[in-house]
Amino acid sequence: MHTIKHLTSVELKLITREPFTLLFVFVFPIVVLLVLSGVFGTEATEEWQGTTPANYYAASYIGTVIAALALISVPSHLAAYRERGILRRLTASSVSAQAVLLSQLIVGFLLALGGSLALILAATLIYDVEMPVSIGGMILSFTVAALSFVTLGLLLGTVVPTARSAQAIGLGLFFPMWMLSGTGPPPDVMSDTMRSISDLLPMTRLVSALQAPWFGDGVAITELVILVGILIIAGAAAVYRLRAADQ
Amino acid sequence: MDEEVISVQHLHKQYRDHIAIEDVTLSVRRGEIFGIAGPNGAGKTTSVECIQGLRKPDSGEIRVLGLDPERDITRLRQRIGSQLQQSALPERIKVWEALDLFASFVPGESNWPALIDQWGLTGKETASFANLSGGQQQRLFIALALINDPEVVFLDELTQGLDPAARHATWGLIRAARDQGKTIVLVTHFMDEAEILCDRLAIIDHGRVIDLDTPQALINRHGGPQRLTFSTDHNDLDWLEALDVVQDVTRTGSQFTVTGTGSLVPLVSHALVERGIVPDDLRIHQASLEDTFLRLTGRDQMNGLAD
Repeated sequence: MHTIKHLTSVELKLITREPFTLLFVFVFPIVVLLVLSGVFGTEATEEWQGTTPANYYAASYIGTVIAALALISVPSHLAAYRERGILRRLTASSVSAQAVLLSQLIVGFLLALGGSLALILAATLIYDVEMPVSIGGMILSFTVAALSFVTLGLLLGTVVPTARSAQAIGLGLFFPMWMLSGTGPPPDVMSDTMRSISDLLPMTRLVSALQAPWFGDGVAITELVILVGILIIAGAAAVYRLRAADQ
Repeated sequence: MDEEVISVQHLHKQYRDHIAIEDVTLSVRRGEIFGIAGPNGAGKTTSVECIQGLRKPDSGEIRVLGLDPERDITRLRQRIGSQLQQSALPERIKVWEALDLFASFVPGESNWPALIDQWGLTGKETASFANLSGGQQQRLFIALALINDPEVVFLDELTQGLDPAARHATWGLIRAARDQGKTIVLVTHFMDEAEILCDRLAIIDHGRVIDLDTPQALINRHGGPQRLTFSTDHNDLDWLEALDVVQDVTRTGSQFTVTGTGSLVPLVSHALVERGIVPDDLRIHQASLEDTFLRLTGRDQMNGLAD
């Protein structure tokens, strides 16, 4: 615990010195929220599931914060640690793979939380977005969703060959999912093909899990179970990969 | 006492497509600077990484301070320090943060501020890792390797990329660490560094230890004949060949070259003086460790350039 605490606090300090990550987590989702809400107006209609576009996007864009962070910056950060030998340096000083992954997970979770809060604040101030119906359900779903996706990103960071390829693969995963997960066009305007692809994407589960408590549809148990499954499998695989990396 | 702190028996490590270590056996004594030298790709780094428990050998037995790096890795890591060949720190981490972080991995109190002073990083405490010079980064790595006050320190290609002044300064600091009672294992492909710094060294090539001894003994054994050159007005010095240590005497004008082995220098000098020949330009040409190394690894021929 001592090691994880120190690693995490140093990582948090280092993050504040990384403008790119901060930009991605704090600025990018807010900009997209503003643009899309601006384009689609503020009228409540049917394709927005009976709410205003801004309201619709507020919940789904928390999903964007989590996914962008988890798929783009987390993998390349971890891959750079492997590539540059920072991980070897830590291993040689008795830091276990679990400690490294856990500290990265904590940092990723806190970043996702900070980015999401900034997003909600912006949406509330500019578009007068309503607060989630179920705050408790939102906290539960957000926690599961963020831990699950950041862990998925960590697994990605343990399998890609380099930090550069991590970024390419991360972007390649993020943008198509972003278009099809209800974070871009709402599911009701998608074609059947688009929607059946959408159903298979983990990001769709992430977004649905966040939308349910936000719109007052209770807690999306199925999506949460799937996300916990991703968390456990990706976590175990990431630990295995990192420990086996050099042998 | 020659207490053995590292013992490696028949280490073997194979990757999918090539053999990294064929058969390495060596032993390191407490308090010495032990060199592992060899050309790039000889298996030096893989060997020390196995010894440090950073890689798993396929076969062979390793004991470091009596511990097995595979089974007792946690206990072992508390007693060894490592500077790795290809390792780095996050670019934006500050010197003091790195020392503080790595000190936190060690049980008990650490006196890392003293290391800042000892390794010449005073005034650089708040500099980012990326903004340090190559020499400063290396000194920070050595400081990190010493942060747990280890008994054995592994330094892999320590002076790579350093300018001559920084190399010499680093050598002095390594001797200082040895003089504090630490055992140093130094991996290098610089033969001048090995010759100057190491008490004993193993020369590794193609995954095998070719020979292991003090630098001087290695030179004597494998460095080839010694040469003495001097000039004199005497025309015929063929009688020198009667000496056991002399192999050959050649003459070019008034310049003589005597080739031989063993105690060539004192015996030839003595014989010359006895006959009243006292040259004032007598020079000894002895192989350096680098020459010895090139002969040993067969890389003194032009075909060595092909691989």
